[in-house]
Amino acid sequence: MSVGLLDPASPEGKAALAAMLPEATAIEAVVALSGGASSATYRLDTVHKGAAARYVFQRTASTEHAGLSRSVQAAVQQRAALLGVPVAPVIATTDACGPLGDGVITGFVAGEALAPRWLRSPDHEAARSALTGQCADALARLHAAPVDNWADLSLPGGNGVAILEAMFALYRTLGVDVPAFDLAFAWLRPRMPTAPPTCLAHGDFRSGNLLIDQQGLAAVLDWELAHLSVPAEDLGWLCVQAWRFGHWQRPVGGFGNREDLLCAYAHAGTEIGLHELHIWEVYGTLKWGLSCLQLADDHVSGRVPSVERAAIGRRVSEVAADLVYLVAFAEL
Amino acid sequence: MTGHPTTAQLLVAVQLYLKEAEAALSGRLAFHAKVAGNTLGIVLRELEQAPAIAEAAALAPFGGANALCAALRSGEKSPEDAAVQQAIRAAVLARLAVDNPRYSTFLRLAERPIP
Repeated sequence: MSVGLLDPASPEGKAALAAMLPEATAIEAVVALSGGASSATYRLDTVHKGAAARYVFQRTASTEHAGLSRSVQAAVQQRAALLGVPVAPVIATTDACGPLGDGVITGFVAGEALAPRWLRSPDHEAARSALTGQCADALARLHAAPVDNWADLSLPGGNGVAILEAMFALYRTLGVDVPAFDLAFAWLRPRMPTAPPTCLAHGDFRSGNLLIDQQGLAAVLDWELAHLSVPAEDLGWLCVQAWRFGHWQRPVGGFGNREDLLCAYAHAGTEIGLHELHIWEVYGTLKWGLSCLQLADDHVSGRVPSVERAAIGRRVSEVAADLVYLVAFAEL
Repeated sequence: MTGHPTTAQLLVAVQLYLKEAEAALSGRLAFHAKVAGNTLGIVLRELEQAPAIAEAAALAPFGGANALCAALRSGEKSPEDAAVQQAIRAAVLARLAVDNPRYSTFLRLAERPIP
């Protein structure tokens, strides 16, 4: 937690949060749900006129945070809801310069967020079988909106060539040479699209960011990496091996297959071919590999000494194997 | 000399301790104990297998990792070149046998040579 921010569980923190909620709401409990490196999430258990109500408060926890500000993220999320994408309803945002920091309060949506759990549990079998179609539908709705829909938010983004070159520049600043990464960069370079972005990409649409209930997709979480791109980027990212949690035979997030995803997506929106999906799957795999390198660099450089980050550095070999397989055999 | 534990035996002892600690801890600390134990597993395999030797041998025909990366960047070598892919595959397998031999793609890539 950053120095100077109010602890949401303290009396002052509760009072500040209650002021953002409907009048006469009493916050009974603040429960920390997860504390990532750059963001912290809390559940707020409240009572309003005798009835229990739950909310979620999520805020940026450090200057390391690289994504969109919470207010822009909240705007994106609200517009996605209008397009028919299942998301948690936005209640309020907290001022980045205020005592609570850069945060957003949303309604609480019930469901399981731990992908290794819902990918395995017998209780979620029906949810898993519906999920490929539901993901395709949610993404098709999001991607159907023209870029004008987001123009006032000054979101980052660019064409395929530009975002690949930005990623290559990041790779070079890390100063390491990983042959499988250069193999993938060289393979991708002539294949990336040069046309301008056509839509908003969620930017982190993977099994770990889906909230799942008995019926399937209850909400799409974590909109902070939203940017302007092309539809296939989100679909390729969903297929990256790292989000399958061992269920490698089901390339779509560990629960579905590519043909079904593309078929459902075409039914709900536009057609994307397996070849285009493959290009973005290579891109997504490489992107995850760079995250591993960056996290490892936090430890190696001494900036954030951590056993977890050091260990993630050795996951670079996993990504290297995925990239060789994807490039050599055009599947994974 | 009996009674004088080897490096590997010391690492195994620390792994045992971390397992005990993990059971007694919760949340973030328990998770880090688990990660730390797995990390020692990597160290043990690395001591045994010395993957840098196999990696260097696989990439030697291209002048080593740095030279191969440079050649792929300049376009001097093509990513479609089977010899390039085969060399990188061999180097990656040597590393992954140490870093995570249970990873699904390790087994699949090991069983599937690049023609």
